[in-house]
Amino acid sequence: MGEKKIVEIKDLQKDYGQKGFRTNVLKGIDLTIYSNDFIAIMGPSGSGKTTLLNILSTIDKPTQGRVLLDGKDVNSISDQELSELRRDKIGFVFQDYNLLDTMTLQDNIALPLSLNGISGKKCVEKSKELGKTFGLTEHLAKYPYQLSGGQKQRGAVCRALITEPEILFADEPTGALDSKSGRELLECFKGVNERNQAAILMVTHDAFSASYAKNVYILSDGAIKYKLNRTGRRKEFYDYIMEIQATLGESFEDEDGGDF
Amino acid sequence: MGSIRLAFNNFKKSFRNYFSMILSLSFTIMILYNFVNLTYTETFKAFGEKNKNYIDIIIQVVSVVLICFMFFFIWYATNVFLTKRKKEIGIYVFMGLTNRKIGKIYAMETIMTGIAALVLGILCGVVSTQLFQLLLFTISDISIDISFRFTWEPVIITVVVYVVIYMIFVIKGYVNIVRSSVLEMISAIRQNEYVKTNNWILFGKAVLGITILLNGYYLAVKESGFNVMANLLSATVFVIVGTYLVFGGFLPILFQKLADNKRFLYSSERNLWINNVIFRMKKNYRTYAMTCVLLTCSVTALAAAFAQKDRYDNMVHFRNTYTFQLVSNMPDLGARVTDLIEQDNDIVYSSEGDFFVMDGSHFDDGFTYGILSFSGVKKMAEAAGLDFPYDELKDDEVICANHIYLLSFITDRSDVTITIDGKKYRQIDETTVPYMGYMQEGQTYYIVSDKTYDELLAGYNQWVSDNASIAGDKQEMQHDERIYIYNYRIQDIYNYAASMDELDTIMENTDGNYVGRVAINPNSDDIMWIKVEYSLCVFMFLVFVVASGSILFMKLYNDSFEEKERYGVLTKIGVAKKTLGKAIAKELRVAYGVPFLLMMVSSYFAVHSLEKMMSTNLKLINLLSVGIIFVFFLAFYKLSVILAVKNSAALS
Repeated sequence: MGEKKIVEIKDLQKDYGQKGFRTNVLKGIDLTIYSNDFIAIMGPSGSGKTTLLNILSTIDKPTQGRVLLDGKDVNSISDQELSELRRDKIGFVFQDYNLLDTMTLQDNIALPLSLNGISGKKCVEKSKELGKTFGLTEHLAKYPYQLSGGQKQRGAVCRALITEPEILFADEPTGALDSKSGRELLECFKGVNERNQAAILMVTHDAFSASYAKNVYILSDGAIKYKLNRTGRRKEFYDYIMEIQATLGESFEDEDGGDF
Repeated sequence: MGSIRLAFNNFKKSFRNYFSMILSLSFTIMILYNFVNLTYTETFKAFGEKNKNYIDIIIQVVSVVLICFMFFFIWYATNVFLTKRKKEIGIYVFMGLTNRKIGKIYAMETIMTGIAALVLGILCGVVSTQLFQLLLFTISDISIDISFRFTWEPVIITVVVYVVIYMIFVIKGYVNIVRSSVLEMISAIRQNEYVKTNNWILFGKAVLGITILLNGYYLAVKESGFNVMANLLSATVFVIVGTYLVFGGFLPILFQKLADNKRFLYSSERNLWINNVIFRMKKNYRTYAMTCVLLTCSVTALAAAFAQKDRYDNMVHFRNTYTFQLVSNMPDLGARVTDLIEQDNDIVYSSEGDFFVMDGSHFDDGFTYGILSFSGVKKMAEAAGLDFPYDELKDDEVICANHIYLLSFITDRSDVTITIDGKKYRQIDETTVPYMGYMQEGQTYYIVSDKTYDELLAGYNQWVSDNASIAGDKQEMQHDERIYIYNYRIQDIYNYAASMDELDTIMENTDGNYVGRVAINPNSDDIMWIKVEYSLCVFMFLVFVVASGSILFMKLYNDSFEEKERYGVLTKIGVAKKTLGKAIAKELRVAYGVPFLLMMVSSYFAVHSLEKMMSTNLKLINLLSVGIIFVFFLAFYKLSVILAVKNSAALS
């Protein structure tokens, strides 16, 4: 692909539990993420999706294998550096938005930047600009409880993007949204990716959400079973994903994939 | 599992959560027990009946204050507890429990907490009585053997008072739960809460609050005559109401304005902590205001205690200006008395002078006054080394020499005009320097110019003889009503009794003349109760400081549990622990600092008004007490920060 490597993992393994009762959650995963990637990771419950995301985003540590983030091995750097790396290179979007209810949407968006010692003026400018891009301008002064789920999640995306990270990790970002808001959010992701703002790695159980990505990796039993590349239109890609899912013989979750 | 078992298990499991409440409750129980116990100790009996009675009254007053305080404290603690528990035990709704059952579980848990606090409090109380009394008497500077005798009465009184108050709030909590809706119980209370109140309401509150507060300050320091008491009462009410409004209106609007200025908000950690302060302010402002008022009260109490102590010392000093004072109608007793005293004691200084006493019919106010001449007083003052800062008096000027008041309600003493025999005199000063020693305690004197003295004396003698001839029954009365006074201060004042028998000889065989004698016993302890009162006040100060600190601490500790989730989010999005710690510290600094600052201002005015009432200087005590509170608050603040940071880290 010729783009800059952002994340690179080699032979990643993760065990849980104590000696004698160890569960092998991830069994040797290799993955490279480039700066223009939009990857969706799918898989049934217990397949290790969330564990993988946690390790990629440095919240968790692997039992074995290397995680290179921006060329640095996250296992060999100090906590301080790790914290800075997380702060500067990574953006997070969670299923339940995780906006702080104590402050307005604009304050929430500006929070990561304002805590990094960036000037107040810059924070105001950037938060307004991002708000505008994501159609939130008239909601900036509102508190999270005054906003709809979709608005909150778009706000969370703004917050994740304000530090201009190289990669955005999204954990079931549409999980708590209705289908319309979910679609809007996915369009936002697409836009972010197309504008080359950041690479995106999204964990989802939902084929519809996954169909917005360029690549879909299907995780099963701790290993990547399939790597699907989108070639044509999104609808076709969706059908393709559904087909593969069917061959796996298991529904990922009992929720439907949204309407068309 | 029965609800009692369930409640007990809950209690055991979350003992750590209750710990702050148990500790604070048992602290108040311990203090109350100690005070109640004081009335039952034999120790004070050694001070004599009069002192014991006074002390009992003081202890009873203090106990009532403490019981009131306990009432509010328990109200507060159970309320915080209820909000917290409501959410947790509300989950039982899903297990099909009725509100009544849940209420019962809550009541059980609260009763268990209460019993734990009671047992701990009484135990600590019983163990600490001796230490408490020891401290009390050390502060009072009273040397006495402390009798330690355990009696059941104080235990029973304390238990009954506590149980009654506590049960009121257990029942209140139970009723609250029974009446609350399911939704209310399970939903986190802070959700859907309007963070910002209408600006206009806040603005109105702020303006009103500041106006009332300033008005209170003004009334507290305003110079006034007999209105002082009414002014002070209004000032107290105004300051309390003003403080509440300032915390409920001015501070929220101030912080909201700060938060509206985004450029200001988005630097340092302000975005986090200023928003949190605003968020918390709505729920916490009463706590801040209460702490502030309580602290101001405690500073004032301490200042009052010191003023009383000061007064006590002055009174002792006042009395001991002269060891012996003799009054007579004979002008030349000085040398004889000196010889008699020097048989057993060394004289440090001595003086003689004269005065006369005019009865109430000569004055507008109907009181009897002694009249002194300027040069006579000056001579006595010089002999005794007393301060006499006056220039020669004009003929229409007087100085009033008075005894020391324990408390006076008139703060404005300038421009007083007095009338003697229809003639007006201007009082240029009122002094409590003991020029006349003990004689000045029961009698007020006017110092007049020498010329006026002679005129008044002549006029008075004339008046006496006139009235005597009219009445016809005072023929033997001396026309010259001048009284001669002989003052002696001896080296070893505790050896005063040795000279008594010699002095008695001069009082016999007076040939129709008379000699009166005053001897001061330095061991006299008839005002000992002031010392006890003083040390009780010091204790009250410490109790209130610790109590208000722990109220704030409890509140903030519980808040930090609510913050846990928020800190978890922040850690996930990559906010460094150090940054988080800084934001926590700054937020807590506001919580402790703002009540402290307002207390500093309020206490300045309170102490200032006290200073005038007691006519003494209390600036140092004010500063000292603020300093002590600062140290306590600093400790509470540090502890809060450590626990909050620990709490925030627990999740990540």
